[in-house]
Amino acid sequence: MAQSHATAQAHGAGGGHATVATYLRIAVVLAIVTAVEIALIYIPGLPSHVLVALLIVMSVVKFALVVGFYMHLRYDARLLTALFVGPLSIACAIILALMALFGAFLLLPRS
Amino acid sequence: MTSHAASHVEHDPNIGITGLDHRKMGMWAFLGSECMFFGSLIGTYLSYKGKSLSGPTPHEILNIPLTSVSAFVLLMSSVLMVLALAAVQRNDMKWAKVWLFSTAMFGAGFVGFQIFEFTHFVNLGLTLRTNLFGSTFFTLTGFHGAHVTGGVIWLLALWALALRGKLGPQDALKVELCGLYWHFVDIVWIAIFTLVYLIP
Repeated sequence: MAQSHATAQAHGAGGGHATVATYLRIAVVLAIVTAVEIALIYIPGLPSHVLVALLIVMSVVKFALVVGFYMHLRYDARLLTALFVGPLSIACAIILALMALFGAFLLLPRS
Repeated sequence: MTSHAASHVEHDPNIGITGLDHRKMGMWAFLGSECMFFGSLIGTYLSYKGKSLSGPTPHEILNIPLTSVSAFVLLMSSVLMVLALAAVQRNDMKWAKVWLFSTAMFGAGFVGFQIFEFTHFVNLGLTLRTNLFGSTFFTLTGFHGAHVTGGVIWLLALWALALRGKLGPQDALKVELCGLYWHFVDIVWIAIFTLVYLIP
């Protein structure tokens, strides 16, 4: 009893987890978004910048669904969110900085 | 009894002043550091993209349909993982064993796809030393595959514990920590799949 209370306190710290039905609904959404992602690259004539933007938005949605529901971050303490989102933000900054350093954003053709 | 229970809660060595379990906080901090690790690898891949002086290039060699199947397998393994955790939490150990083993097998399937892909690429002349694409591609996806392999071993260890009757609802945190790691390798693949395979 005490142990389960401690466990619940340690795990939850702010509410219950998602139900199995929610997990399955998320799975369906993830499968559909993945199918749409793959279908997009076969659409002829879709402008490259539109395709890239759509693919990134959809992968961010999938990422957020897994982290929020399957990793329970939506229901857990905010400290855990900070522990993850902080380094994730640094990782995104590292990616952009490396791309800038190597000239990935140059608009003019390189000689 | 009540006072004994209360003192047990107070003196649980795994609960810190934040009210959170140290092991869970440690896992999230580890996953944060892994974000930076994979961020560096993805950043390097994107920085060198299109700068190879010789082929094979990504659009010549990447097999989108095959990788889509393996990406789907890994994505669905995350569903099996949450079902395993839910089963352990409600003390349904029969289904917990089924879901844990299924998750491990889906993960092993993903690794199998990756081994096939790597072998195929080597046969087509793309190795770690061929060009910048080969170096960055094999390093990035190879490290991810190594993480998945580690996750499969962890899952099989939990499954073995469950088979021997040494895993129960009191061990839900052990399964949850493994699940956090497993979902993390899944979300890393979500990023890699989009950035490496889908974006032209």
